[in-house]
Amino acid sequence: MGKHKKIAKSNLIFDGLVNLVMILVLLVCLLPFIYMIAMSLSDPAAIMNNEVTFWPKRLNLSSYRQIFSYPNFFRAYGNTFFYTICGTAFSLLMMIMLGYPLSKDFLRGNNFFMKMVILTMFFSGGLIPNYLLISYLRLTGTRFALLIPFAINQFNLIILINFFKTIPVELEEAALIDGMSYWKLLWKIVVPLSKPAIATIGLYSAVFFWNDWFNSLIYLNSNQYPVMLYLRNIVNGTMMVGEAAGSADKSTIAISVKAAVIIVSTLPIICIYPFLQKYFVKGMTVGSVKG
Amino acid sequence: MCMKKVKAVKRGTAAVPKQPFKSHFKRYWQLYLMMLIPIIHILVFKYVPMLGSVLAFRRYRPGMSPFGTEWVGFHYFKRFLTDSMFWRAFRNTLVLSFMNLIINFPIPIIFAIFLNEVKNARFKKLVQTVSYMPRFISTVVVIAILGELLSPSSGMVNNFLQNVFGIVPVYFMNEAKYFRWLYVFTDTWQFMGWTAIIYLAAITGINTELYEAAEMDGATRIQKVFHVTLPSILPTIMVMLILDVGRMLTLGFEKVLLMYTPANSGVSDIIDTLVYRTGLTNQNYSYATAIGLFSGLIGVILVTVSNTVSRKLTGDGIY
Repeated sequence: MGKHKKIAKSNLIFDGLVNLVMILVLLVCLLPFIYMIAMSLSDPAAIMNNEVTFWPKRLNLSSYRQIFSYPNFFRAYGNTFFYTICGTAFSLLMMIMLGYPLSKDFLRGNNFFMKMVILTMFFSGGLIPNYLLISYLRLTGTRFALLIPFAINQFNLIILINFFKTIPVELEEAALIDGMSYWKLLWKIVVPLSKPAIATIGLYSAVFFWNDWFNSLIYLNSNQYPVMLYLRNIVNGTMMVGEAAGSADKSTIAISVKAAVIIVSTLPIICIYPFLQKYFVKGMTVGSVKG
Repeated sequence: MCMKKVKAVKRGTAAVPKQPFKSHFKRYWQLYLMMLIPIIHILVFKYVPMLGSVLAFRRYRPGMSPFGTEWVGFHYFKRFLTDSMFWRAFRNTLVLSFMNLIINFPIPIIFAIFLNEVKNARFKKLVQTVSYMPRFISTVVVIAILGELLSPSSGMVNNFLQNVFGIVPVYFMNEAKYFRWLYVFTDTWQFMGWTAIIYLAAITGINTELYEAAEMDGATRIQKVFHVTLPSILPTIMVMLILDVGRMLTLGFEKVLLMYTPANSGVSDIIDTLVYRTGLTNQNYSYATAIGLFSGLIGVILVTVSNTVSRKLTGDGIY
């Protein structure tokens, strides 16, 4: 009996420890955000007096109203939406058009093309040759510099190919016998069946375009900058937050406004990813083991 | 699923019993046409820059070919091998990589094991979902939030330290001695939950009979962790370790660039930021390409060696 009691006690302590650590993880992940939300909703004077922690003091929405009144923020936010939507669409198109033929083991030359893709995962040209190529193609300073070169990601492609390979051939064969072309077959049958994989890699692409700032910095003009680069320029002081900020209270306004920019530019992605969780968890394990 | 795959492969091969390529192409030309544009895309945007690395051996003239104009041999390599800035960046890269590996390799494993021990399914799901969140956040946002939290004038951390311990506010982001820790722990914050996915999948695959047997032998839950869970996921841990060693030099260049200040440059200047500064800021294209090529080659060697080791030991690799 004594032994059983000991085990039960040990398990109880372990259970407590596990739950404690998990609560800690939860807090560490969330608190920085809650802090930013509290800052963005607080009165600048309260921030100045260091009154704000995890709860807004003298709640007001002025910082949100302010950022949406800055034309350069508004443009940057719109640019980000544009790059994310167009970039992801083009990226998916290219990867589907490449992934589908590559998922057909019977297609001759497939091995060669697959090796060609995999080789680029181990060795890439590096920053300077890429930069010089894009300027040589006269893409620098155009939005295409962001939309076109990054369309194909090898890891995402492999997730997609592995998924295409699990689609039963019977379905495709029936359609081919009915005289359907491969092009139609792909869009009418294969793509609708591949929603989980397409959702996963679509999310990855969207996150890439949404979060990019470095490629935008080196390839784009300032009126084409996305919101992340706008934020970076505010943070490191290369750019003033907005014309409206008076010189006296610039720093306090900057904090609540910075916080508002952080929240507004992060919220869309945070709202979307939980809905795709079951897909990307599967995609991650399949892709990484087989990749 | 597995059966279907086997069948598919069999039928696929049965359809081409040494057909001449002409008739094979006639039958499947649509598939070849479909991948034509993506293949051209890969050739242009992946292979041309790869060939562009010859710039490391050639002199570049503005407005002329991106492949350079004349051969100069190992001129640029000799130059950076005697440049103290290069060696500083090289050392910083190694130190930061090692710190990152030593700290951030085990943490996701521990997290996955703990998460697996959570009894309440809804709580478990909540922690899991929240732990993925930081992975989706832009590095710009991560560093901006970090800057706010650590700000010497209004940041929460300094307020707390001042009010509770009476410590004079510290400008954490600007001091060299904190840079590496901040880099490593923001990485923990961003990727712990995400990396744990792989270990969680491995834990889910463990045969439940092993746990039942351990329970019959009177094992506590901690003992089960050490005697069942850990040994069962050891192969996964090994593969991941080897792969991580292989790619350890690929640091978060963008994050380092965002955290870089003149005051912490002594420890925050890594090879990638050196390439960026030399190449794009100072426009020494060939010199920067040479440095980039050198570190790229070290990376390829590391990956290849670690992959071979992984194959030998576990029969599993990434290619």
